[in-house]
Amino acid sequence: MSAATDATKPAGPARVWGVMGEFAGPTELLHGCLAVREAGWRKWDAYSPFPVHGLELAMGLKPSRVSMIVLLGAMCGAGGGFALQYWTSAVAYPMVVQGKPFGAWEPFTPVTFELGVLLASFGAILGMLTLNVLPRWHHPLFKKERFLKVSDDRFMVALEARDRNWSLEGATRLLKQAGATNIDVVEE
Amino acid sequence: MSHATGHAHEHHFEPDPALFAEPNVRAGGAARGLSLALIIAGLALGGFVYLQSAGADKPAMRVAMLSYHTGFLASIAFFIGALGFVMILHQTAAGWSAVIRRQFENLMSLAPVGALLFLPTLVLCYTKPGLLWKWMDPAHVAGDVIFQKKQAFLNLPFFTVRALAFFAVWAGFAFALRSLSLRQDADGDRWKTRTMRKISAPGLLLFALATAFAGFDWGMALDFHFFSTMWGVYFFAQSMLATLALGTLTLIVLRSAGRLEGLVRDEHFHDLGKLLFGFTIFWAYISFSQYFLIWYANIPEETSFMMARREHGWLSLSSALVVGKFVIPFLALLPRPNRRSMAVLPLVCVWILGMHLLDLFWVVQPELTKGPDAPGPSLTPVVIAGILSPLCVMLGAFLWRIASVPLVPLQDPRLPQSLTHRNSI
Repeated sequence: MSAATDATKPAGPARVWGVMGEFAGPTELLHGCLAVREAGWRKWDAYSPFPVHGLELAMGLKPSRVSMIVLLGAMCGAGGGFALQYWTSAVAYPMVVQGKPFGAWEPFTPVTFELGVLLASFGAILGMLTLNVLPRWHHPLFKKERFLKVSDDRFMVALEARDRNWSLEGATRLLKQAGATNIDVVEE
Repeated sequence: MSHATGHAHEHHFEPDPALFAEPNVRAGGAARGLSLALIIAGLALGGFVYLQSAGADKPAMRVAMLSYHTGFLASIAFFIGALGFVMILHQTAAGWSAVIRRQFENLMSLAPVGALLFLPTLVLCYTKPGLLWKWMDPAHVAGDVIFQKKQAFLNLPFFTVRALAFFAVWAGFAFALRSLSLRQDADGDRWKTRTMRKISAPGLLLFALATAFAGFDWGMALDFHFFSTMWGVYFFAQSMLATLALGTLTLIVLRSAGRLEGLVRDEHFHDLGKLLFGFTIFWAYISFSQYFLIWYANIPEETSFMMARREHGWLSLSSALVVGKFVIPFLALLPRPNRRSMAVLPLVCVWILGMHLLDLFWVVQPELTKGPDAPGPSLTPVVIAGILSPLCVMLGAFLWRIASVPLVPLQDPRLPQSLTHRNSI
């Protein structure tokens, strides 16, 4: 149904992605987030030009699951690193070095540790990107000129239409009650 | 949301005076009673060791002396680590730490108790040379080429002067910093915070030297052929870990006794948990590096130390130390909720304190059993009493300190910052 598939026809009414509203400062944003959270919303986000302390509490965010991915990466790295060294120097190609035992764990430890750290960092970066659904080419909010102000001096909250509480009137009313200004509908 | 916006309002935040009311910031009389009981128990245990070994033969006296030395090193670690910790907090202007600092100030002020505990050892160095440090026995080191090279450093007069200097540094800086903090309780003079910071800069330098060389003198030189340049850091790592565990445990006990309500919160325990976690890794890193270099270089003077801890039944204790002092606390403190948990954190603290004892047992005791037909590790009543005696005295003195002063700095200018401190997710 998009314009790209049939350029001759005028595009139909675009689907609503959600609504966004502005807040004047971090304190107002925190209060706004508390209101949205208490209304039981799940598919929504807050946007700020700098980290706001306590925002994750106000939004009711759960601790990130990235740490589990990091742990998994660390175990794969350390386990794989140790296995690789043990196999090469004690099984596949045993060679006497300084008269030390073939399978001595001592010289394997630094590499085991380093590989554990390396794969843990990969897990942290890739896990963060995956859980954030990044990278992506576009986001509906970028269509809004005013939204660019969140990288300057504005604080915003956007409620998404895929939330089970969604109705255009209800979402707009909630943002208004939460103290938002310049409330605007965002299309996909 | 006052917590969340703490940074924005920090300068307007006025702590509730009710938080600093007497019952909330005073330990109460029970601590004094327990303190006296512990000191008496420590002296009694010391007397028992003395009576058991005074008339005995030289090996039995050496067992008693090494056991006492184990306990001595384990107990001085508390005030050494605390002094380093407090000076680092001052140097970094650590706002979060204002409410937890007093207990570490109490710990660091025990340096004179450490000096008293060292006195019997020092007297024995003169009356029975070579009983504890074999290099002090002229007959033992006669014709020893390695010793002759080290004699400029390893001689009894210089050893005594060094010991005095160590205690002067530890006790001097601890007294200066703690008395400033106590005077600030009364007059609220903000500039004292700045003075404490200024004192801490040269303090940390001298502290590092005193602590490293005390480690060399009292731990490493038990085997005067052995040398490890990492030993000073190793001793520091042991001390920091022991201090953090004891300080955290103290604060948890005070909290469960209904004190420090609203002052020391989960956020502070979270930070202490992070430090315990960090220094657990630091200790493992330092001790592995020390072992690794000795293993790789394979120099007889160095490997003798590790060999003595691999033979005669010591290998199982060495392995237990790796698992018990690194793997278990590491896994226990790895999940974030555990570092904030008032159920897990005290258990980990007690465990680390136990491992601290095992660590020093592992450092000191094998010196007794070196040789081809040496016995393995053993725990006789004399050994146990010898280890516990200085520890009981030190912990008793600590409890007395806790009972004598307010449990938090009452007028620290960083209290608002500390009271609104929060860790992010």
